[in-house]
Amino acid sequence: MIAHPLRIAGDTNIGKVRAANEDTLILDPGLGLYAVLDGMGGANAGDVASQLASDTIREYVQHRALALTPCDLLEQAIIAGSAAVYSAAQIEADRHGMGTTVVACLVVDPSYIVVAHVGDSRAYLLRGGRLQPLTRDHTIVEELAGRGLLTPDEVERHPYKNVLSRNLGSRPDARVDVIEVEVRPGDRLLLCSDGLYGYASADAIQYVLGSGDAPEEVARDLIELALRGGGGDNVSTIVIEVPAAPASSTAAVRTAGAVAWWQHRQRFLEVAAESALARNPIVRGLSAKDAVDLVALSLCQAIYHDLEKSTGVNVWTFAQNLAAGWFERGGDWKPVRAIVDILGDCARAVLDEVRAADSQLGFLLEVAVSRALIVVELALGGLLAERLRQIDDDLVELHSATMDTLEDTLESEEVPEATAPALAPPGELLDNPTAPFERSEGPAPGDEAPPEVVGAIAKILTLARGRVAPRDALTGQILAALQAVVSDSDGNFTMAVLSARGLYGVRSVDPAGVAPLFDAFDQARVVVAACAQQQRAPIAVRVRALRALSTAHQRLASAVTGLVLEAVGPYHDRLREAQATTAELRSAVATAERTRAELERQFATVVDTRLPWGARGTSDW
Amino acid sequence: MTVTPHDLLEAVRGLRDELLETAQHGDREPPGTEVFEAVLRALAVGGGARRAAEASAPRASPLDPSLQDAVARRLAWGESEEAVLADAEQVFDRLLAAADRALGDPESQITVIEAMTQVAVTVSRVVAGAAVARAVRDRAARSREEMTQRQLKEVLEKQKASIQRLERELKQDF
Repeated sequence: MIAHPLRIAGDTNIGKVRAANEDTLILDPGLGLYAVLDGMGGANAGDVASQLASDTIREYVQHRALALTPCDLLEQAIIAGSAAVYSAAQIEADRHGMGTTVVACLVVDPSYIVVAHVGDSRAYLLRGGRLQPLTRDHTIVEELAGRGLLTPDEVERHPYKNVLSRNLGSRPDARVDVIEVEVRPGDRLLLCSDGLYGYASADAIQYVLGSGDAPEEVARDLIELALRGGGGDNVSTIVIEVPAAPASSTAAVRTAGAVAWWQHRQRFLEVAAESALARNPIVRGLSAKDAVDLVALSLCQAIYHDLEKSTGVNVWTFAQNLAAGWFERGGDWKPVRAIVDILGDCARAVLDEVRAADSQLGFLLEVAVSRALIVVELALGGLLAERLRQIDDDLVELHSATMDTLEDTLESEEVPEATAPALAPPGELLDNPTAPFERSEGPAPGDEAPPEVVGAIAKILTLARGRVAPRDALTGQILAALQAVVSDSDGNFTMAVLSARGLYGVRSVDPAGVAPLFDAFDQARVVVAACAQQQRAPIAVRVRALRALSTAHQRLASAVTGLVLEAVGPYHDRLREAQATTAELRSAVATAERTRAELERQFATVVDTRLPWGARGTSDW
Repeated sequence: MTVTPHDLLEAVRGLRDELLETAQHGDREPPGTEVFEAVLRALAVGGGARRAAEASAPRASPLDPSLQDAVARRLAWGESEEAVLADAEQVFDRLLAAADRALGDPESQITVIEAMTQVAVTVSRVVAGAAVARAVRDRAARSREEMTQRQLKEVLEKQKASIQRLERELKQDF
């Protein structure tokens, strides 16, 4: 559209697992057009789809910019992109099923941006340090959540949360969501593929996006964040920054904020000395001055250094050390919460004074210090999550031990040793034929499983998930699917079929597309067997748990194979159609050949009749 | 009483007629034989999953070539992949129930369950692999058909042109 003074940068990375980067970026300051496209479909079709859609969208915007309103322009451009991908997929058999997501924005002027998207690539707006999603994923699960059928927690845990309900290429047109955004100075807009938010938390994204670094560095740091989180997918980011007023440039904020904070440290320490800090159990045994120096001064220095360098590392380390040291000494959560609240109050008292003296500086410092306090909360949250996991493990262990004791007691009281018969020799087995089988279905794993078996299954799968490397996402998905299948109590294994669809996803029909699924099944099988071995539950319980898991494993693998068979079916049909067409063509050629031969014969006869009588029949045709 | 791998193998082998209903199939090989044989092979080598589980790092078991051959043979004889999978599922379920009933020793049951799971995944892998290979062949055959169609269309165009020319000349001559 127009040249604009925004600062924009984008970056893309293949990730740690994928063999190719199927993401495509559009960074066109001349048109004011920026987009992230995440291609899908095997046999190198994903990158073809995203590139083709990208080229089409760019071309459309270039040629129709003056003819349409910005919203219509972006919407129609994306629809044109979808049509292009759809047509290409229809023409080439290898590319059948390819598609792409897109999140695009058109900068109309520095305060007005149009954002459009299809699929699960997202746009976020960072305003006042808070990250707000601008788009809602076009996934089946999100659509269900939008209708109030799923809670946010269920959405997060749902096995099909990545199954798209819309994309470019699955149909000739596309339903595009378009929104208009009025941006303000200091706002930052982020466009990203699912490779970012799938491997980095919203808090972490908010923190990096709000760091104050240049957009180039932020785009790169966000990718680094996703790679550290596993990098299981291609990851792409575009950061668009609306520059703040000249007086409050990032560097000035940093320097002025850090200096102002340091100048007011004495006031911070005085407020801390007057507070209940010295009476907190964490600093028990220290004098009031030592307590203030140890805790308040350390935090004060950490905030100063973080403000100066625009990081959160120092504050994070302070909070981790404070809480972890206390927990190691056997302390509980309450004093940690209390001391953090006291320090927060002290910081706010200083901010009030700064604001009274200089409102602009006070505002800047408030943003920076609030961010530091958020980092403290994040660090504590991480520690708490770890403690909860430990407590969960301890509870499961305790439950297993209790069940052991209970079973021992029952065995000693009621059940003689004969209940565990020795292995009968093969001959005896043949001499004692068992009842014939009357049904082909196996025992339902969840059928009236006693609580201890259910508990053992959950423990095995929890242990197994812990042993799977984060980059081995497929094995993790299989373990989650096993949990769902085992919990399915109807005995018909409908959950196996549903879970298999989630596992199969979008996949090319060739060995490279299918083999990883079965490698992951093998991997899951081996990990489950290993974790079952490590279980401390009674062996009878372990046998039942393993049997249920084994049945679930078999049903799931079988259902996935069923999907492979479903996917290869059309290839045979298309071959048959092609063979029929060839046969028709052959027949047409044969008929034409006969017609031509007949005409030639007639022509020869005509020519022959015109020759002198003696020369007839001698012409050499 | 300690159960040796040999005892266990023989005990499971003893379930063959019952599991495969050999009597009902006369001289013919009962469906699912290849799966049962694969379970026996897995038990004979000590249980792939168990061995892998005891190793420091989990690893997948190698593919069973005999099972692959047997499945390929069935498919070559015109049986469907769905039938092979259904037979495998039936043997799996029956063996699971029979192991529960006939093998008193829980450790033996675990060994059999692990071997069966391994074979179940392998059967699925083999069937899926065969289906994908067929799809690849179909795709290649379709490409050849399309190439032939292009050539035939060219021939047809030439023939039509030739026919039109002949018809024109015949009209002029008359």
